[in-house]
Amino acid sequence: MTVYGTLILGCMSMLIGFLAQRSRMCFVAGVRDYILVRDRELLMGMFSFLITLWIMTSLLYAFNILRIGVPEYGAPAIRVSIEKIGTYSLSVGNLNTLFQKGPTGGIGLLITSRFLYVTLIGGLVIGLVSTLAGGCVLRQHVLLAQGSMDALFFILGFYGAVVIYYGFLYRFFVRLY
Amino acid sequence: MRKGYLKPWVFGIIAGSMIVLAEAFAGFYPPAAYSFCLTCHTRDLVNTFMNGIFGAHFQTTILARRILMLTSPSVLLGALIAAHGYGEYRRQKSTHPLRYFLYGLMIMTFGILIFGCPTRIVIRTGYGDFFGMVALAGMVFGIWLGTLLIRRRWSRSV
Repeated sequence: MTVYGTLILGCMSMLIGFLAQRSRMCFVAGVRDYILVRDRELLMGMFSFLITLWIMTSLLYAFNILRIGVPEYGAPAIRVSIEKIGTYSLSVGNLNTLFQKGPTGGIGLLITSRFLYVTLIGGLVIGLVSTLAGGCVLRQHVLLAQGSMDALFFILGFYGAVVIYYGFLYRFFVRLY
Repeated sequence: MRKGYLKPWVFGIIAGSMIVLAEAFAGFYPPAAYSFCLTCHTRDLVNTFMNGIFGAHFQTTILARRILMLTSPSVLLGALIAAHGYGEYRRQKSTHPLRYFLYGLMIMTFGILIFGCPTRIVIRTGYGDFFGMVALAGMVFGIWLGTLLIRRRWSRSV
């Protein structure tokens, strides 16, 4: 445990929380408002976030400051099977490897990986449930700070799910990978 | 317009550049694109405490062994400072406690499965992760389904 990294992460998160409260930013409400009432303001927030990340990462990859990395998720059972599809993960070049021929590239390995379908269905459920709850996870934290007790129960379930997942559900869900 | 209101696109630029710079220069590396995620960092925080106190062997990332992931409490604290500083703290009673509890439960479970909250899905898409784009497409489709349900709820109540 280093105090230094913890402090940097804490200060960055505090600043993001402060700014998110001031701008009522939410990643789900942007798309939702556009579909329901054609309000573009929050959607522009999401797009500027996305474009900033894209430009910054492209620049830092080009100058070799940021490493192109594979996600590393700790548990060996997940790691082994994710390493198989790891060549596609988290690199700017992964769209290139998608179109390569041969055993290490190509679309065949990708569409037979279960992680693709888990990701699609998981994203769908997260979008649906977030819309019903009235905001993404960041927005729920901000709502709790503004005094909404609905958000308090949301966050309680959010923390409780970690213990439930790793206590009981892990051995079933880990087969999905 | 409220006092001290910030345009959402300014938030996007500030938060986006901060997240990338934190990974590049503060060394939040071993899982890539991991400098801000509410689901994964909360998972790491809770599992670090569970492992430390009860001696469990729950899954954490390599980064969580180096630093303590205080993202979710820090976001709460920052938003609390902003809400009190600008006088926007209004206590509202809970309307459906059990329903919101289940919403939180479901979002965390599926968030652990696909390694990301909505924020990190967008971050991974910006990093060029193919699975991030797939998750974003799924999320947009899910939001569209959700708006259909909201419209039905409106038309019933009117």
